[in-house]
Amino acid sequence: MSNINFYLLEYAKNYILRHKNKNIFIVIVFTLLVALLCTLFFVSTTVEYEMESRLENQPDIVVQNYKAGRLSTIKSGMVDKLLEIDGVSWATQRVYGKYRFSKEGASLNLVGVDPFEEQENPFIAKLLEKNQLNENDIFVSQHVKELMHKAYYDDYFNFIKPDGKLLRLNIAKSFDVGDRKYLEDLVLVNKDKLREIFGYKADEGSDIALGVANKNELAFIRTKIALMLPNAKVTSKDDLKVAYKNLFNYDSGVFLSVFIVAIFTFFIIIYDKANGLSSEEKREIGILKAVGWRVEDVLHAKFYEAFIISFFSFFVGFLLAFIYVFVLKAPYIGDIFMHDQLFDIKNFNLNVHLEFSYILLIFLLSVPVYIAATLIPSWRVATLDADEVMR
Amino acid sequence: MRLFSLFLLSTLLLAVEIFAYPNYSDAIKEKKIYPLGKNIYEKRCSSIKPSNYNTFSALEDAIKNDAHCKKLQTKYQEALALYLWEKVRITKKDKKYPEIVVTHKDKCPVCGMFLYKYPRWVSMIEYSNGKKLYFDGLKDLFKYYFEDPKDIKGLFTRDYYTQETIALKDAYFVLGSDVYGPMGNELIAFKDKKSAQNFFFDHRGKKIVNFKEITKSMVYKLDE
Repeated sequence: MSNINFYLLEYAKNYILRHKNKNIFIVIVFTLLVALLCTLFFVSTTVEYEMESRLENQPDIVVQNYKAGRLSTIKSGMVDKLLEIDGVSWATQRVYGKYRFSKEGASLNLVGVDPFEEQENPFIAKLLEKNQLNENDIFVSQHVKELMHKAYYDDYFNFIKPDGKLLRLNIAKSFDVGDRKYLEDLVLVNKDKLREIFGYKADEGSDIALGVANKNELAFIRTKIALMLPNAKVTSKDDLKVAYKNLFNYDSGVFLSVFIVAIFTFFIIIYDKANGLSSEEKREIGILKAVGWRVEDVLHAKFYEAFIISFFSFFVGFLLAFIYVFVLKAPYIGDIFMHDQLFDIKNFNLNVHLEFSYILLIFLLSVPVYIAATLIPSWRVATLDADEVMR
Repeated sequence: MRLFSLFLLSTLLLAVEIFAYPNYSDAIKEKKIYPLGKNIYEKRCSSIKPSNYNTFSALEDAIKNDAHCKKLQTKYQEALALYLWEKVRITKKDKKYPEIVVTHKDKCPVCGMFLYKYPRWVSMIEYSNGKKLYFDGLKDLFKYYFEDPKDIKGLFTRDYYTQETIALKDAYFVLGSDVYGPMGNELIAFKDKKSAQNFFFDHRGKKIVNFKEITKSMVYKLDE
């Protein structure tokens, strides 16, 4: 702290204010550039992070049954067959699906819950730990409760079965899904009742989820099941990861090209600045030298000037990007990541997730480069004799 | 005549008993029925004491007549009965060993590699003086073990399939399979012979051995 020369700092401040037009222009360009780069990195790292955390909650392997090339139901007897495979640590038949609530034009996300089986979804497991779901009860999210309330369903809800008959279930509890936007339409129903709603037979389910204790064995078990059940589609967590990654890498490629263009533009501006000082600036340095400043004093003042401009711009740009991405939810630029079900930004919620390394990268690419581009030409002029400069 | 009828009756009884007893494989019981039964027992039917009943059917009847469990579906009642009969009543428990935990500083004393990167392969020698050494695979563990086999309290590793900690003296090992550890060819450990055999066929193993059969030359041959 004691090394800061406040007289020189004041000189630098006054210098910036004296050349207002030029410096304001630099600050605007600099700020926008940092804001753009920060936005790109914020969106991409946040989406990637969220994607990974969602994958974390997926079961290791999902087995779906296909009939005539179309998705069909799977029998519960298959669970026992799959449990016989070594390395499979658990397997459950899941019953879930969409239910059209036509009155409100909404699509409810019904998930079947067995009262005694372990829940593979951690959110649902936590919910059921505290509350028991009885056979004739349903648990609904706040959002669904409001929807049902609009149709005057407060205590119970009538599901329409495929044969046209009604099934009345009590709305026992509503829960808050917090920032997990994708669970907004969730309704928990007893598994057997849900089979009735969907028109499944008693032993039918939507798919089978498996857990594998040793992740090294995942690919092998996946192929083993695929060979065992020729009609089934077997998706492992690794497959999902690869699919997501491919899409994500494509998007990142788009981002990267924007990034390169932006960086290039910045360097052109820097090059222009580094190439020489205006005669007015040269004369100013010459006068300073004539007044008795040493070379290091001139550079000191120039350093302060460049540091103030670049750091201020960086900070404002960072703040702008932060607000744009995490408060405004990245309109327009975020749309690059729109892929129907996979990365729906509106569905993603963009929780604040910053990766320090990227921020450091942007900082190092902009601030020190700008400072160098200011110092080097000043130093060139400052080393000359005062009379030579002012001539 | 009386003796004959007695014989007939007893066979009939036995037959009824056999058919009444649900027949599932061990894998299904371990992975599905016992956890389900345990949940039911803890959530709904903890009032039943399995030690009070002498036969399985008596236990089943008791469950069917119990005030809390009466309404349960048959599949739940069956799971509960099996869990109580085979897990709770029999006090003999499988020996469980604590998980082998390594820190970010621990290195394998044979190859010098950091262990936290390969948690699935971490194995341990525990000496009687309390000293514990960790290795990134059984091959390195055995190399060390054959140099210094004295005063050893226990040798532990993870079962390949279930990832639970097992003692090497009860384990079975598959050599020459197509599964590689951090140090290349490995001995892959299993808690029972059946899973070792399944692995042997699935992953083209060359040999199944138990702890006593492992020799120094066998371990060093894996490096070739």
